[in-house]
Amino acid sequence: MPSEQELQISPIVQESLVHNSRTLYNLQSLTASLFGVSAGILGLESYSGFVFYVALSLVTAVLFYALRVAPTSLASGKPPLDTSRYFRGAYDFWAGGLMNGFAGFVLTWTLFYGLVTA
Amino acid sequence: MVICILASPIIVIRSFGASRPQAQEASNTAMTLLSKTITAFGSLLLAHACYSAREHTALQSIRAATAATLTSSSTAATSLPVDIIIETIISTFIILLGLVLGTRPLRPLEWRVWAGKIEREGEEGFTDNAGAVDKDYMGNPFSVLESRPNFVDIRKQRKEFAEWVQKGDGKQGQ
Repeated sequence: MPSEQELQISPIVQESLVHNSRTLYNLQSLTASLFGVSAGILGLESYSGFVFYVALSLVTAVLFYALRVAPTSLASGKPPLDTSRYFRGAYDFWAGGLMNGFAGFVLTWTLFYGLVTA
Repeated sequence: MVICILASPIIVIRSFGASRPQAQEASNTAMTLLSKTITAFGSLLLAHACYSAREHTALQSIRAATAATLTSSSTAATSLPVDIIIETIISTFIILLGLVLGTRPLRPLEWRVWAGKIEREGEEGFTDNAGAVDKDYMGNPFSVLESRPNFVDIRKQRKEFAEWVQKGDGKQGQ
């Protein structure tokens, strides 16, 4: 997290921050529901379902980095896996999906588990 | 902020390529079509996998019901066939790819990077996937400063005008 002095030297555009966070949040909610559907179809139960979710949300973050962040971020001289061109916290980018989409995941997971097995 | 204001008169580069916006717009629409096609294809596969899994469990329960009359019902707890599992996982990844491709382009966070992008690309750098300019695009943040009369290079403009008049006269003369 940048300090006050760094923010004074290189200011941040709030609109871009909101836009990028919203884009990422929309993707995470959508994909979490999708992962719930596939977990329900696969008939996963208890821990294996949660492991499935954690693994796939990490895959989502990596894919989003590779397709959306990396082309311009690497070209501007940032090191690999550095998201500071578009996002403020690295933790929010890589692990934020675990929190944001969890409710949607459980919802569709139970729904499709019930649809398929009942 | 102070640095930005001080630096603003220096940033007076306006280079709008004539062919570039159209090319970018075309690639954006192609991108939208691509992502939608991929997502639709993946959804189709996922729906098929879901239907197959449903049919499989239904078949299993029928078989278990008929087998229960003959032997002990130990066959009820069989897992999904491998092809349904593979289809589900592959379709999930296909939809995931389509959704990631369908996300809107990000914007640079740092003020100087963002302002530089505006200077270089104009509103073509701030379009969504369909090629339409974002609603909250507000253009050059320094436009008020750059249009100050004190900073207008009047001699250069006069020279350009004189050249333009000369060229126009030459054309009319021929």
